[in-house]
Amino acid sequence: MTDLRRPCALTLTLLVAAAGVAGETWWAYRPLRPFPVPVLQTASDAQLRNPVDAFVARRLQDRGLGFSPEADRRTLIRRLYIDLLGLPPSYDDVQRFVHDRHPAAYERLVDRLLASPHYGERWARHWLDVAHYADTHGFDKDKVRLNAWPYRDYVIRSFNQDKPYGRFVMEQIAGDVLFPDSPDGVVATGFLVAGPFDWVGQIEVRNGTVEKKRVRNLDRDDMVTTVFNAFLSTTIQCARCHEHKFDPISQEEYYGLQAIFAAIDRADRPYDPDPKVAAKRRELTRRAESLQQAVARLDRTIHERLRPVLEPLRRELDRLMAGITAEGKRPEFGYHSAIEREPWKEKWVQVDLGRAVPIHLIALVPCHDDFAGIGAGFGFPPRYRVEVADDPQFRNATVLLDLTETDQPNPGLVPQAVVLEPPVVARYVRVTATKLAERRRRNDFIFALAELIVLDAEGRNVARGASVRALDWVEGPPRWRVSNLVDGIYVGEWSVERLRQLAALQKASRRALARAEVVRLRQQRASLAAELAEVQQQLAALPAQQLVFAAATDFKPIGNFVPTRGRPRPVYVLRRGDVKQPVEPAVPGAIGCLAGMPRELGITNETPEGQRRAALARWIAHRDNPLTWRSIVNRIWQYHFGVGIVATPDDFGRMGERPSHPELLDWLAVWFRDQAGQSLKRLHYLLVTSTTYRQTSFVVGPMARRAQRLDAQNRLLWRMNRRRLEAEVVRDAALAVADILDRRMGGPPYRNFKFIDDHSPHYLYHDYDPATMETRRRSIYRFVVRSVPDPFMEVFDFPDPAVVTGRRNETLTPLQSLVLFNDPFILYVAEKWAERLERQWSDPASLVVAATREALGRDPSPEELELLSDLVRDHGTAYLCRVLLNLNEFLFVD
Amino acid sequence: MFSRREFLWRSGGGLGGIALAALLARDGLLAADDRSDQPLPHRPPKARYVIQLFMSGGASQCDLFDYKPRLIREHGKPWNPGEKVELFQSTPGHTMAAPWGWRRYGECGKWLSDAVAPMGDVVDEIAFIHNMVSKSNVHGPATFLQTTGFTLPGFPSMGAWISYGLGRESDNLPTFVVLPDPRGFAPNGPRNWSAGFLPAVHQGTVIRPSSRTPVHDLFPPPGSFATPEGDRAALEVLTRLNRAHLAMRPEDARLEARIRSYELAARMQLSAPEVLDISGEPRYILDMYGITAPDVDWDGPMNEGRELRYFGLNCLIARRLVERGVRFVQVWSGADNGFPRRNWDSHEDIRRDHWPLARAMARAVRALITDLKWRGLLDETIVYWTTEFGRMPCSQGSKGRDHNPFVFTNWLAGGGIKGGVTYGESDEWSFKPADPNHVTWGYDVHATILHLLGIDHRRLTFRHNGTDRRLTDVHGHVIHEILA
Repeated sequence: MTDLRRPCALTLTLLVAAAGVAGETWWAYRPLRPFPVPVLQTASDAQLRNPVDAFVARRLQDRGLGFSPEADRRTLIRRLYIDLLGLPPSYDDVQRFVHDRHPAAYERLVDRLLASPHYGERWARHWLDVAHYADTHGFDKDKVRLNAWPYRDYVIRSFNQDKPYGRFVMEQIAGDVLFPDSPDGVVATGFLVAGPFDWVGQIEVRNGTVEKKRVRNLDRDDMVTTVFNAFLSTTIQCARCHEHKFDPISQEEYYGLQAIFAAIDRADRPYDPDPKVAAKRRELTRRAESLQQAVARLDRTIHERLRPVLEPLRRELDRLMAGITAEGKRPEFGYHSAIEREPWKEKWVQVDLGRAVPIHLIALVPCHDDFAGIGAGFGFPPRYRVEVADDPQFRNATVLLDLTETDQPNPGLVPQAVVLEPPVVARYVRVTATKLAERRRRNDFIFALAELIVLDAEGRNVARGASVRALDWVEGPPRWRVSNLVDGIYVGEWSVERLRQLAALQKASRRALARAEVVRLRQQRASLAAELAEVQQQLAALPAQQLVFAAATDFKPIGNFVPTRGRPRPVYVLRRGDVKQPVEPAVPGAIGCLAGMPRELGITNETPEGQRRAALARWIAHRDNPLTWRSIVNRIWQYHFGVGIVATPDDFGRMGERPSHPELLDWLAVWFRDQAGQSLKRLHYLLVTSTTYRQTSFVVGPMARRAQRLDAQNRLLWRMNRRRLEAEVVRDAALAVADILDRRMGGPPYRNFKFIDDHSPHYLYHDYDPATMETRRRSIYRFVVRSVPDPFMEVFDFPDPAVVTGRRNETLTPLQSLVLFNDPFILYVAEKWAERLERQWSDPASLVVAATREALGRDPSPEELELLSDLVRDHGTAYLCRVLLNLNEFLFVD
Repeated sequence: MFSRREFLWRSGGGLGGIALAALLARDGLLAADDRSDQPLPHRPPKARYVIQLFMSGGASQCDLFDYKPRLIREHGKPWNPGEKVELFQSTPGHTMAAPWGWRRYGECGKWLSDAVAPMGDVVDEIAFIHNMVSKSNVHGPATFLQTTGFTLPGFPSMGAWISYGLGRESDNLPTFVVLPDPRGFAPNGPRNWSAGFLPAVHQGTVIRPSSRTPVHDLFPPPGSFATPEGDRAALEVLTRLNRAHLAMRPEDARLEARIRSYELAARMQLSAPEVLDISGEPRYILDMYGITAPDVDWDGPMNEGRELRYFGLNCLIARRLVERGVRFVQVWSGADNGFPRRNWDSHEDIRRDHWPLARAMARAVRALITDLKWRGLLDETIVYWTTEFGRMPCSQGSKGRDHNPFVFTNWLAGGGIKGGVTYGESDEWSFKPADPNHVTWGYDVHATILHLLGIDHRRLTFRHNGTDRRLTDVHGHVIHEILA
């Protein structure tokens, strides 16, 4: 019994405590028990079509009641269509079924409906209520969420494919980790993030503030709440501020669950909708990774081989470089080439010494510039050569140093020097970059050099002040000028002697690198690197990935919203749920109150983020988890019968309702898990082919009148419950009977509002003309705005997607009647419908018969025919259609 | 003792009541025809109506109502409250006084700034609370805290709770009406007047007095095939067909309820336009509310004259709604953030933006309180002025102020509130409450308003997802000091 005005929470705690229920395991936490199907002496076999009927009939018999008669076929087919597809049957469908003489006509109809793709559209919508899905972020700015819909399509697909429920559960919690090879893996985690996203709190509020901690705490709270309400019908969120007042759930357990989600955020994530592309991408990515590893291994080997030679050289170099720092550097940086988009562009810079001189030593001094966070070695090319010539065109050049075969490590501030013995006589010296240096953050390529030093036999720098030419350049005085190359300004101080030592060192190290063994290894490396580049090219050539709003650890930062890159954020148990009052670090785990299910998940604060979710997913989908299986069979039951076996589908705790048929609930859960292969379609079939389901919803006969007194709420199911159509069904059914429903499936949502993307976006439903509606698709494809509900859908109890809704309200209000009577959408449908009818029929009576058949699946009564014909004659066919759409018979299903 | 019918009207309100009846019947609670032990009201009510005036964006307490001589003395000097201050979008600037003067008003001698000087005439009716605090310095959550008592979306608005608790008084009008700012919705949009998990009948109904279609779908859209004669005939046919359908299913109260809902809808079609038709109001009333005010010479995105024409009209409509039995009217001043500025979120320039908003608000409020008093309605109508948070006593490096969730002001008048009092003090800066152990939450104000309506805030609950939810969550104390 639900008392709508319960005593306050505290009083109830006292009551619970006083009743001493703590010692006994609460029904929902007990293991599932395979109750035997009751054997009933008195009921006729014809009434006990399947075990569901036996359990229901026994409780009815206990009260001296029985089943009501079966509903007529017209009622049954409408009930099945609305229930399984969310669409009304056409008049032809009704006629065919009413006259079908096949003994299994009903069962064949059920099979046919379960095979329809519209089944997935109908049942996905129920699940989206639970996931509290929407296409905007919610909160005050309520920005659009453009990539939510792939998750919606995933849910539709999963229902239509009849995915085993355990798999459906695991995919939505950790599909990216557990099923990376499935195209559904990443998309399914859209479930975890389907709820609101605090755009201002996450993006505008600065990191490190108390407000930010509060925002993150509540963000994780929504994830934990969604998972536990949806899969386990457990109100875990009550333990955020204190131990759960009614259920045995501690704050430690609650924050342990938050710790499982501590590394994920709500963000767009790339995925491949085509499984073939996904497989190709995974294969290529794996190859790229293994090639990268092989290259790294070779690098290590090369390093090991060279270490005995290079290590002493390195120490010597360190001595030479001691004390050289860019601090206080002069603003005249050096020469800077033009900027390129790719590295393979040859660029040169050269000096004219004025006359041919004997050259003893040439040194290239690198630049230092903090631009783009680079610093030392700025613009120093990874491949280059140094040559001299007697003519400025370098037609007969002598190459003095050739480092164009392989990439050289960036030298930092170390000049690259070469000693010429014997000296070479020449007038021109040229440095040619054959591969440009990358500016990583800018994604472009340049060649820069601070100084070119050319020493003659006396150790004079004959290049100082010489004339400089280059292929191209960037002038940015004082930092960048071509003449800066020979201005004597660079970081460090280099005497002739130290330059000679440097040159000797570098020569020794080049010789070591030129050893045959090393050369062989480096060739291997080069071929692997080439292969890697090839694989990376293939990867880049794959079709672009799509985005889905999903659980993400890596994404492009927006403002203060930065990814964790998989490192979980610290989570603490919080006194009174206050982020300013951390008590101790939370330990990731599950809850401990379920008989036969350990609280520990075998994970710790060291466990990587994905494994945490995977462990929870396995725990929830475990066959011994009693809540999981009870929860789902109860949800499905509720959507068929109007009320669940447990009337509070999201709460099996002490504040929820107790099951009306506990043994049936367990029998169904066990059967579904073990016998039915966790197939929801088999569960639907079992329920809707039962006698219980096929009963009339009318109160007829003396038994029913007695039952009405004993059990007015029909918890014992002595008849079927009459139900008002849900918001989507009202809209879809109107479009369907008018025959203007667009049945295309999937893809981005339609928008039935005018959108103004201001500082805060505006969603203006009133400014939208349904006659211009580019699409008349099913309501599941509607763009769902959190802050501004569609007035049509809201008035028919479309739930607020801020919260998990396992059972919608069913209200009747004057506003609802106003909307159904006056809304531009309804008038538009009525007009379109009328236009079609008038093309087919001309006399009012034929119009009325046709329209009534289409709307209600039956012929009008003589009284209806007369009243409606008069209406057509006096006020037009559109009025007939408008009235039919407003009938109780249209809005309710018997 | 109420008859069953009256009980249903009161507890659920109109058709909601009937839907509630179905709900109660389902739960076997209505076995008997009459119930004398129904629990509401919990105590004899002082007030019957509430008009909530919501200043969206964060109205500045220290520029309007919370007089601080120290800000004037130290204007322009460095501001050092002696602790690290974490602001929404800036670091604290210098101490900043209000850009206008202050004077004392009324018998109580309350200090008011020149921006709200017109309220001086009614200040003896008002109880001010200067130590209000909020949980959030972000507009959305902070607005929710004032409208629903929670920072998260998904909870029923105060008006919805009152509708759920007390039900409908008018047969022809909704119980909870919302008059939005004509420039747009405040942060959170319609969720500020949502029924949350309560039955939909309790949600606020939006009326836009200055729009061509003030109530959504009240009439067929212009240009459609519908005609008044056609509608009359269609409703008659509809009722007859629905009655025939009902005859076969007499036990289903919902079917009857739906038939009646069309009758109620038809009554709303008559009464709603009547409420909005102010042509019968005398000229001095229109003038008093400022509906006839011209634009004034002012350089800024907002103009006192235009604000008066919006807000004054909404206040007049609020009075007309209360007169006709609407229990809760939510009136908005200011929309969400946008360019140019169209709310109280004066980050850039207090003088430019607060002045026109505050002057217009003060004149409309003076008119509303005076008018209610003339009509004998002030005794049973609570006028409740709020905002999501206040503003800092320092500048934001400009002529504006950043958000201050640590202290702000609410005030109440009428309906059993003691006038001319000030309750709860802020510190010498108007930065935080003077006494950190004595602060006032929105919960306390909500509890006080429910109390005056005869409702014990701890006992008005609704079971949702495992919790008996209340407007005041697990908080709230009635502020007896401001009760008459």
